[in-house]
Amino acid sequence: MERECAIRVEHIAKHFKVYADKAAMLKERVLFASRNQYEIREIIKDVSFQVPRGQALGLIGKNGCGKSTILKMLTRILKPNAGNVMVQGRVSSLIELGAGFHPDMSGRENIYINATIFGLKREEIDSRLSDIISFSELEEFIDNPVRTYSSGMYMRLAFAVAINVNADILLIDEILAVGDAGFQKKCFQRLRQIKEQGTTIVIVSHAMEQLYGICDRLIWIEGGIVQEDGLPKQVAMHYLDFMEDERLRKFMTKSREQCQDVRRHSLLELTDRIHPDARRDGSQEVYFTEISLLNQDWQECQNFDTGDKVILKMAYRTKRVHPAVNFNMDFVKDNWQYCYGCCYAKPGDELPVLDESGEIFLVIDALMLLPGKYFLDVGINGPAGELYDNVRNFMQITVREYVHDEFGPCTFTHHWQR
Amino acid sequence: MRIHLKEIFDYQDMIYSLVRRDLRGKYKGSILGFLWTFINPLCQMIVYTIVFSVIVQTDLEQFYVYMITGMVPWLFFDMSLRQGTGCVRYQGEMVKKIYFPREVLPVACVTSNFVNMLFCFLIVFFVCIVFGAGLHLAVLVWLPPVMLIEYLLTVGFVLLVSAGTVYLKDLEHIITVILMAWIYLTPIMYPLHMIPDRILWIFQINPITPVIEAYHAILYWKKAPDLSELAYAFLFGIVLLVISEVVFMKLSDNFAEEL
Repeated sequence: MERECAIRVEHIAKHFKVYADKAAMLKERVLFASRNQYEIREIIKDVSFQVPRGQALGLIGKNGCGKSTILKMLTRILKPNAGNVMVQGRVSSLIELGAGFHPDMSGRENIYINATIFGLKREEIDSRLSDIISFSELEEFIDNPVRTYSSGMYMRLAFAVAINVNADILLIDEILAVGDAGFQKKCFQRLRQIKEQGTTIVIVSHAMEQLYGICDRLIWIEGGIVQEDGLPKQVAMHYLDFMEDERLRKFMTKSREQCQDVRRHSLLELTDRIHPDARRDGSQEVYFTEISLLNQDWQECQNFDTGDKVILKMAYRTKRVHPAVNFNMDFVKDNWQYCYGCCYAKPGDELPVLDESGEIFLVIDALMLLPGKYFLDVGINGPAGELYDNVRNFMQITVREYVHDEFGPCTFTHHWQR
Repeated sequence: MRIHLKEIFDYQDMIYSLVRRDLRGKYKGSILGFLWTFINPLCQMIVYTIVFSVIVQTDLEQFYVYMITGMVPWLFFDMSLRQGTGCVRYQGEMVKKIYFPREVLPVACVTSNFVNMLFCFLIVFFVCIVFGAGLHLAVLVWLPPVMLIEYLLTVGFVLLVSAGTVYLKDLEHIITVILMAWIYLTPIMYPLHMIPDRILWIFQINPITPVIEAYHAILYWKKAPDLSELAYAFLFGIVLLVISEVVFMKLSDNFAEEL
């Protein structure tokens, strides 16, 4: 190994006993011995990883996947049922803020209580006291009892203590969302500073931007095992796509339930990925039989990056003989902002004449939409603008979010010059 | 084990903070504030004094002096155990979220009550000087070791019950009942020589008896305590402490899950 290892986790497993109805009282234990049945819930099945000294590692995964459990095993609050956790150096964990705060005591006294719970010595606190107070921006109030603080002030004080506990290894659980925007920025900067000092950091968060800003590496926990371990951008992309697909799958089930009536049943035939809010109208003289959205590899896909190639494939059928029609599509943002639309032929152009059935493709060479969620609408019109088939809110697509420097619905090809 | 003990020692500042918070926080906001520390045992003394020197008669002179010298140390033991049973359980949130040696909580709880007792000794000394036969400085040097032995015993018991309560809530109530009986099995409200021989053995195995008797000896009889009896209490305390710590360490592994 090139660098010294700060944390080594080897094949850890953790399960919890989940009591259907926990009997903590002796009487209940004796009387209802049968009620003490519990099921064993496996949270972590087999997780291994190593963190070299000075690295910042982010743990991601959906709620309840065991990220916090891993963090608690690193702090020794929980013991793994199997495997080993080896941690070298002094650990400090920002899992609980404001532990031991007494509402009737002053901010200053509470700093001492809180910091000693984190394992600091009184002399260490003495030397950091001014840092902590100035970080919390509570100089005027520091000698007032904590119960007179607003909740924001309370959290600021708590955070100021936590972040000034110098340690070799810092474990952070989802607590960076403290205070107003200015304070958050300050916390974030402090964290980067801590990282530059060579502190090893393990952080659990759902705020991807924060993770990109701090982490050198992400581990995605899914189903009790390490699903992916690698560079933040890459792991995050797969994770977010997975979460998005999961969300959309739920939509599909919902759509299937909602579209059982005759009027909307036809929507289900168009695609599996129909959105529950989809609406269809028109005379159906010419109608869609299948619509799908494909990525550059011609795979069905609903998650894209700005600039990706996107192919909209539409299959149709007609009840009339050789009708002349116009195709159109548009993107509408999820806040109902109209973003982009296009049609096959502009007014005055000759319209395509269709056979009984066929397929048409719209190839978007570069999707210029900025990150966000968009609805796709498609339609077929007659020569006089009459509506043959029109499907609105047909499908939702997601343009992936990274740290971005552009705003609004779409991107321009641009560069800055100095 | 040795590393663990060193760690507890490293967290002495946390114990200090918790004790301070407990003592200062307890009466903050109340008008009489810290005075309650004295008023509480004082009122209790007055009640007991009336009951035991007016209604129930003993052959001891100035019986209330005898009683207060035993009662204040007993109250330390009693309160520590009562509060100690829940000291881990009621700080569940903290135990679940932050790592620190869990022994800190019971030790802080006992220490806080111990400091409280030290304050109460001001009353004891006052009573001894004003109503009793004064204080004998030569035997007073025995007071710190006796207190230390009582502290050891109390920590031993509290470690055990605080860990047990996490797993079995009933323990809190059971302890209350036991304490209620325990005070009558300790020579506090009557001298040891009044106890009939056939139940004397209970008093003799009770490790608190030699401690209370030592306080009586020093403050009431003004003589040195019986060393062989004290040695029994001391050994009892050491053995109990070792057993309790082993049990506590074992049980504390699953605190975060059980809470």
